[in-house]
Amino acid sequence: MRTEHALLERRLPRLFAVLLLALLALTAWQWRNGPPVAASMLALLPSGAGDARLQQAEARMQEPIQRDVLVLVGHPQRERAVALAASFGQQWRDSGDFEQVRWQLDSDLDALRQHLRDSRLNMLPAADRQLLIEQPDAFIEQRAAGLFEPFASFSLLPPEQDWFGLGARAQQALNFGGRVQPDLASGTLLVNEPGMTWAVLHLRSRGDAFDMQAPLAIAQRIEAARSASEAAGGQLLATGGALYAAAGQNKAMSEMTLIGGAASLGTLLLLLIGFRRPRVLLSLLPIGVALVAGCAACVLIFGQINALTLVLGASLIGVAADYPLHYLSKSWGHAEWRSWSALRSTLPGLTLSLGTNLMGYLALAFTPFPALTQIAAFSAAGLIGAYLCSVCLLPAWLNGMQLRPAPRLLAVATRAMSWHGRLRQGHGTYWLLALFLAFCAAGIGQLHSQNDLRQWLGKDPALFAQSQRIVELTGQQPTSQFFLVRAADQAQLLQRQQALGTRLDALVKTAQLRSYLSLNQLATPAADLQALRSALADLPGHWQALLDLGIPAQALQAELQQLLEQPQPDLEQALASPLAEPWRALWLGRDDNGVAAVVSLQGQTDSSVLQGAAEGLEGVQLVDRLGELNRLFAATQISAAELKLISCLAIVLLLCIPFGIGGALRVVCLPLLAALAALACLGWLGQPLTLFSLFGLLLITAIGVDYAILMRENIGGPAVSLLGTLLSAISSWLSFGLLLLSQTPAIANFGLAISLGLMFCFLLSPWAGTQQHEVKG
Amino acid sequence: MNALARFTLLIGLLLTALSSQAEPLSLDQLSQQLSQHPVVRGPFIQEKHLRALPKPLASSGTFVLAADAGLLWKLEKPLKQDYRIDANGIAKRTAAGWQMQPGRDVAAQQSKLFLDVLKGNHSGLARDFELQLSGDAKAWTLALTPTSLLLKQVFSRIEISGGELVERIELHETQGDRTLLRMPASRAGDALSDEERSDFAH
Repeated sequence: MRTEHALLERRLPRLFAVLLLALLALTAWQWRNGPPVAASMLALLPSGAGDARLQQAEARMQEPIQRDVLVLVGHPQRERAVALAASFGQQWRDSGDFEQVRWQLDSDLDALRQHLRDSRLNMLPAADRQLLIEQPDAFIEQRAAGLFEPFASFSLLPPEQDWFGLGARAQQALNFGGRVQPDLASGTLLVNEPGMTWAVLHLRSRGDAFDMQAPLAIAQRIEAARSASEAAGGQLLATGGALYAAAGQNKAMSEMTLIGGAASLGTLLLLLIGFRRPRVLLSLLPIGVALVAGCAACVLIFGQINALTLVLGASLIGVAADYPLHYLSKSWGHAEWRSWSALRSTLPGLTLSLGTNLMGYLALAFTPFPALTQIAAFSAAGLIGAYLCSVCLLPAWLNGMQLRPAPRLLAVATRAMSWHGRLRQGHGTYWLLALFLAFCAAGIGQLHSQNDLRQWLGKDPALFAQSQRIVELTGQQPTSQFFLVRAADQAQLLQRQQALGTRLDALVKTAQLRSYLSLNQLATPAADLQALRSALADLPGHWQALLDLGIPAQALQAELQQLLEQPQPDLEQALASPLAEPWRALWLGRDDNGVAAVVSLQGQTDSSVLQGAAEGLEGVQLVDRLGELNRLFAATQISAAELKLISCLAIVLLLCIPFGIGGALRVVCLPLLAALAALACLGWLGQPLTLFSLFGLLLITAIGVDYAILMRENIGGPAVSLLGTLLSAISSWLSFGLLLLSQTPAIANFGLAISLGLMFCFLLSPWAGTQQHEVKG
Repeated sequence: MNALARFTLLIGLLLTALSSQAEPLSLDQLSQQLSQHPVVRGPFIQEKHLRALPKPLASSGTFVLAADAGLLWKLEKPLKQDYRIDANGIAKRTAAGWQMQPGRDVAAQQSKLFLDVLKGNHSGLARDFELQLSGDAKAWTLALTPTSLLLKQVFSRIEISGGELVERIELHETQGDRTLLRMPASRAGDALSDEERSDFAH
């Protein structure tokens, strides 16, 4: 027996060293091209439910959000703004960081003229078409007046090519850019406001904005430009997915350093104060192993690790430090503490802890949220790593160490347990339970649930202010809401979009919607084109006003003839025209089920209003990703809770083996009660229940089972066990609780729930023990 | 683009050009000569010579240019319509009073620019035209040839001529049409009439 132990004690550390080396090699290989860390919180969101078309449309609409950066360079002097924009634009274009950098309207006017002339019937706005059909006299009179109007907008088509003004009206409709106008001299895109001229630059980054290095490079370029503009007496505003990603990345990194650093430092102090031996700091090793193993597992499974996982994962430090505490804390009980024998006596409890923790975490892996799946994978791998390290390697390194833990701590714990013992005699427990349940019920009654995507993002306030300002200046406010229109063929598609467009026009008129882009603005449905042509054919009866100006009838006749005979380009031809650039991304093409296109919207609009606009229109679907995600958050809360209950059942079954059914139930019920109390506290504190606080509470049940097991196993006596539990709880709190400091609401909410839960877990843990305080081990 | 918008633009360009340092002496003199009057009034005749028409499209009316307020443009034939440009943008007179036109047009940009120039807020457009001044103070001609890519696609050449005041502006469009704006009987004044003042005020 003794030789067997000795053999094992020699072999285990070696075996683990080999594993550890393999793990480090794997990690080194994974990090060969820089850190495989993704910064996008959005990447952790579940992809929308729905068919391939919907996913295609969502991806298409996501692309500009992720890749486009909009920059406004302002200066009180117009020409300085133009010059600044040109210098930044050229610089960025030369940098190679961007696929496209645009700040000038450098269109070939002749080509634009040609396209406008060829497709003016197609592009005539619906309201103008209606005027021509219903009131041809008014239409002609407006045109006659327009020929003399001094400030009519600059017309691409000269009057003799556009006697009826169809081209001028179509051109007006193209001017959807809101307040952004080209500077006639330089072509620079400008927005004017009193005392300030802003030049607008559109940047499109290469590839995905959420690849790790690009956002930082882009953010640096923008910051450099900001300093340069401020030095020149100007200002710079910028917005775009890449900038948010860069800010998120920086924040995640600094928070991880802060929280991870504080947690490590705290744990270190805890160990030193508790055990008074520097060598005991070796027991921090499982933390490092846990982080490396968690990272490696995530990269292995998901290809990369998200910054959010890393931040939450850093909190794993506390749990990982628990394992060595299991046997280190036994030094209070034994006169002479030996690492291997202490491990042997606590190994069953340690293994049970690992099993229950794994069950708790893995339950989360089955929620439809990639975020939770990733965190679960990270944690599970990390815990296994920490367990193996604590069991295989650490005892060898701690071998021969004489532990002289602080005796005063044990005295405090002994006194606490004797109070508890007195409380448990008689009916104290039942009174307490009744009081406790009343507290919980009242608290939970005040709880409100909140699920909003905005909690995830924890928007950088400076960036958000700039985005708001840009919306105000440019009038462009892209939203995540859009319509997906499907049809059997192009003709039907345009017809359906036309029907939707009529309703949207009404919303624009009542200012419920800022504007929208739809393919039927580019190509008129065939039936409407037919109606337009027949109205045109009747025009000679109404064009006296133009004849009065001295325009020869032959000239009008010739243009009319041309308009009537001119074939209008079909949708795909129209999309190829240089005028069609803003619409091009809307067309989703043809597949086996027909054709589809997106109708994109500008301005925040109430989802129910938009739902109303789509109502009753066949093939039209409102896609509201934000709303959908918020609903999904709520649904996930429920499914996560269900999964948790299932995992609790599994834990009960597992614990039945050592403790029997009664003991197992007791051990599982205590953390559940603690979670309930934490939930009630959230209610009392007026804090919302979010997916994240729920996730925290689920975690609490896993960790709490740990403490209950420690107390139940009762190795070294109840006071020693209580002390071990206290050390564990403090080290857990040091890592999880510190998440309270995070600026991301989701993470801070998580930290709060965990902190509360840990406190109750510790307070309730003495009840896990059996009534007779017999000393084992 | 319409003639008046061009006219205002050109006056602006002219003043910018004149006050620039390119040809100091003569341009400076002309600038001073044109900008010394607080108010200029007179009739205008605009002829649009379109290639497709045997006769030009003619219109006429009167204008009031006030250095510190803006421009009133009163079209009388073939239809009556008053326009106004000032620092706020472009307005059209309707039965309900002045109605601001949407400020997003390129023409609005030009007219704003023009007013900026009047206030001495030069916008440096001179660098987008090549300027050639000939003649003397009694009879001068200033030829502008656009150098900016965008303007080149709109105008091929612009000629402004006059004596004491601007009398004639001719715009040659790249596409072959030509607009002639004549102000044959402009008179300089010292102040706006009450009616004009109220037109600018409301």
